[in-house]
Amino acid sequence: MDFVTSLFPWITNGPLIVVQVMSGLSVAMFLFLVSVGMSLIFGVTRIVNLAHGSFYMVGAYLMVTLAEMLPDHPLAFWLALLVAPLGVGLLGGVIEVTLLRRIYHREPLLQLILTFGLILVIGTLVLLVWGPDNKSVARPEALAGSVKILGQPFPSYYLLVLALAPIVAVGLWVIFYRTRWGMLIRAATVDREMLGALGVDVATLYTQVFVFGSLLAGFGGALSAPTVAVALGMDGDVLTTAFVVVVIGGLGSFAGSFVSALLVGELQSFGILVFPAVSIVLLFAIMAVVLIVRPWGLLGHPEE
Amino acid sequence: MRVARWLVAIAILLILPPLLPSFLVVVMTEIAIVALFATAFNLLMGFGGMVSFGHAAYFALGAYAAAILVKQAAWPMLLGLAAAPFAAAAGALFFGFFIVRLTHTYFAMLSLAFAQIVFTVVFKWKALTGGDDGLLNVWPPAWLKSPLAYCYFTLVVVGLAMLALHAIVDSPFGYALRAIRENPRRARFIGVNVRRHQLQAFVLSGFFSGLAGGLFAFFNGSVFPDFAYLNKSFEPLVVALLGGVQSFFGPLAGAVGFKILETYIARQWPIYWPLFLGAAVVFVVVALPQGFVGLLQRRAWRTRTAR
Repeated sequence: MDFVTSLFPWITNGPLIVVQVMSGLSVAMFLFLVSVGMSLIFGVTRIVNLAHGSFYMVGAYLMVTLAEMLPDHPLAFWLALLVAPLGVGLLGGVIEVTLLRRIYHREPLLQLILTFGLILVIGTLVLLVWGPDNKSVARPEALAGSVKILGQPFPSYYLLVLALAPIVAVGLWVIFYRTRWGMLIRAATVDREMLGALGVDVATLYTQVFVFGSLLAGFGGALSAPTVAVALGMDGDVLTTAFVVVVIGGLGSFAGSFVSALLVGELQSFGILVFPAVSIVLLFAIMAVVLIVRPWGLLGHPEE
Repeated sequence: MRVARWLVAIAILLILPPLLPSFLVVVMTEIAIVALFATAFNLLMGFGGMVSFGHAAYFALGAYAAAILVKQAAWPMLLGLAAAPFAAAAGALFFGFFIVRLTHTYFAMLSLAFAQIVFTVVFKWKALTGGDDGLLNVWPPAWLKSPLAYCYFTLVVVGLAMLALHAIVDSPFGYALRAIRENPRRARFIGVNVRRHQLQAFVLSGFFSGLAGGLFAFFNGSVFPDFAYLNKSFEPLVVALLGGVQSFFGPLAGAVGFKILETYIARQWPIYWPLFLGAAVVFVVVALPQGFVGLLQRRAWRTRTAR
């Protein structure tokens, strides 16, 4: 035990651990919002949208603009949080209709390359519109400070994130498992051709799913904007972490994204305590192990 | 006839540099390096059907190995350069061992993830790599210092490397690789060890990417973490796509076109360059899947069959 405490001095510090777990949960929320959209889009359209991190970034930047544009009113922040994701959803819709729709029948490699190219296009457009400097978004007044949890300070904005997390998770579950649209999505994940043969307008479903996935990424970006420096490198960072989450959980698996986001969120939160410099390497190492043992992810299904 | 064409090409390359303005000599050197990088990349993409989104990792490993050995260990430049491809190949062997277990999407993304790791390590390991500041003053010795001398040196090294790559593509190994690209399951049935061939291709591709990186380190006179970043991984992909991935010389043609465009566009409007790159990729994928060389080939083939 002495050895353990000397290595991890925080291990006997109960309150610190609780706070660390909570901040891990809020990181998990952001990760879940991006990765579930990415996973959903893959499940239905079989396209891995590499531009998903870019959508997240656009969500955060739209939040910056809306915060500047809207009048100083207590409700402005909430309105912005609602509108920014819609903007990203619209962007996703335009991309799906004009570009992705043309390449669904082509090789997976070309599809990957296309969305890879979109990263550059969107990244440069963001640079041109918002400029190279980092931006920040003020937290709403009621949530600007911090609260004491077991004597440890905890930013109260994160409480909002933690409160939203179960709402989002349950909401998505209801959409996927209790609505006709959700049933169509799950059916498309299993057999798209059969779904088309049964008379479902699959092309429209693809567009809807892509818009919905983009919207979730945009929401993640908008929600995270007050917690980070909104900067140009966000797209790559978010993409790689979301990718780790999706791969560990299993591409196309809703529950997988959820479990894996929790895992990775906590890992990041504690990784910073244990191995500050190499926590990202640790993350990739875990992903590599999962890929070798179960290439289709913890809760995914093998590719046929 | 074929030999004659080759001799003409070599003669032009040998006579041309002194006639060019010195700024174009520099561009030509860079074209040769990019062509090597893209051809090494295309060994995987065009012939093996494996798309790596993280090839910058091997380019950077080569560049940093050369720079670190010359700067920190005071090795002579030629030895440092010779070590570059081996360092990159070692990295490719280690990462490739995991990467080739996967297909398509997972393959591409795991390669990207490993490149991100290399980038992070290079960025954070200040004592060895200089971190964000990079390593400066990595110049070749006096006899290679003039742009013209380094251009000839690069042309010779790249020429030999391209010959080696051509021999690899033309060997039974190269044909086994094509078989794997077309149908991995069938390749396995006829006795090809798919995974081993893929790993060998990955290591070879990493080897020549590292050589390109080493050449670039001394060309540039410095190395930076950017060498391992996403944008650098884009480069061979775009170059190979523009030139055409189905032919051995596609990436070479792509490199010429790419660098000429970059020289003019990136100098004039540096901000728009990535936008142009991304848009070019999107355009090629949507409209010209065969690349520009593929387009020309198809046209040539059509006129021939029409006759």
